[in-house]
Amino acid sequence: MRHLVIIAVPPEVELMNDERLAHTFVELADTLVDEFDLVEFLHVLVDRCVELLDVSAAGLMLADSRGRLQVMASSSENIRLLELFQLQNDDGPCLDCYRTGKPVAHPDLAHARDRWPQFAPAATHAGFRTVHALPMRLRAQIIGAFNLFHTNPRQLDRSVTRIGQAMADVATIGLIQERSLRHHEIVVDQLQTALNSRILVEQAKGVLAERRGINPNDAFILLRGYARNHHHRLTELAAAVVDGSTTATELLSTTTPHLE
Amino acid sequence: MTEASRIERVWGAITARADALGVPVSLRVLCETAADRLSISGVAVVIQGGFVASELICVTDALSRRLEELQLTLGEGPTLDVLGGSSAILVEDLDAPGYQKRWPLFAPQAVDTGVRAVHVLPLHIGGIRGGALALYTDHPARLPSETLAEAWVFAELALELLLDEQAGIGIQNGYVPACWQFETPAEVHQATGMISVQLGISVGEAFTRLRARAFADDRPLSELALDVVARHIRFDHEDTG
Repeated sequence: MRHLVIIAVPPEVELMNDERLAHTFVELADTLVDEFDLVEFLHVLVDRCVELLDVSAAGLMLADSRGRLQVMASSSENIRLLELFQLQNDDGPCLDCYRTGKPVAHPDLAHARDRWPQFAPAATHAGFRTVHALPMRLRAQIIGAFNLFHTNPRQLDRSVTRIGQAMADVATIGLIQERSLRHHEIVVDQLQTALNSRILVEQAKGVLAERRGINPNDAFILLRGYARNHHHRLTELAAAVVDGSTTATELLSTTTPHLE
Repeated sequence: MTEASRIERVWGAITARADALGVPVSLRVLCETAADRLSISGVAVVIQGGFVASELICVTDALSRRLEELQLTLGEGPTLDVLGGSSAILVEDLDAPGYQKRWPLFAPQAVDTGVRAVHVLPLHIGGIRGGALALYTDHPARLPSETLAEAWVFAELALELLLDEQAGIGIQNGYVPACWQFETPAEVHQATGMISVQLGISVGEAFTRLRARAFADDRPLSELALDVVARHIRFDHEDTG
């Protein structure tokens, strides 16, 4: 069964590289088939956002059953750490966005210390100056936040907000399967399942890193590449790595060093 | 309801009950609190067996015990499905044709026994499968989303208690479940995977070892995990840490 995905493309899109944008939406819609892998889907989404919207980094956070945000996907390691910093210090635009359900943006974080006393200095220290935080919304429920960062201070661009929001909506569609659009009680379970897939991938990164003597980021690149090339769902491959089952034998073997 | 306080409310209710009974916090107290707060007839916690049958470790009432035993006897049912790897199973009415067909032996007998709604949540942390939390109701019921969110918090806390018990971490006065302190950074799960390879054990055991070490060294779990990921600490020769 394929999901019918209708995406309203904002008018500003015409001003951008039409072909590249169209290609991205087709790629994302194509991923949304039955049995698609959510972790992989969200990583493709944040990576494409960085390219399309000409931002420096993107991150996506989801709320768990405790109502706390968890980092689900990020385009780079430093943005993951910055997202984590917000959560640990309970301070930052993504949290404000999640709590209010409204977009939050700032054109220059070097002058945002009053608003985010802990986040603003940390973000500028990490090299980021502009932020857009966009809500992930399903009807009345806010399920997470989608965040875009840029290294230069710049005017807040409406097209970034509009297209970014369209991307956030696509991410929400990916998270929420068809049946939950009728039974919203199920949403909490799907979010839990999504977050658990993410944890599984982290455990697999650790297993692979230790087996092959590499760092977890390189382990993730290896895991994703192998899943793509061998047509495995990322989460299923991660489970095989963690369980040491046969699907992952080649990947775990230290005698096959040049895998891609 | 403010989101951030959900776990505090649930944990507060569990500790209040334990205090009122004059007993330490335990899985039993947790299950009884869940039955009360969620307006559920009965609650059961089943832990994942190895090669043998799963183990029923806590039930609040005879009905839940009967339902769990029924599934083990018949070899089918929602708890067994969750233990087998399914995500949460939410059944509003076992008497509905779809469920009668899905569990042809279990569903009719469960209805005869007096159970109509059953909600089973997995006790999972990634590849760690700890077991399942089953909620039984004697009338058809769909749990509202807030109740379901609380049920997930109960499930998470149940797994915390199980893991801490395994790690030899005493649950006495002032005990605070680790999951409450912070959201768990990715490094904790990465370190778990690394330790499982270092020691040749499952991720579940590796997670237990990591928690036990953090507790013994009186360090935050996340801090210890960072050291493991940075390869400052190995678990295959612990004395060098």
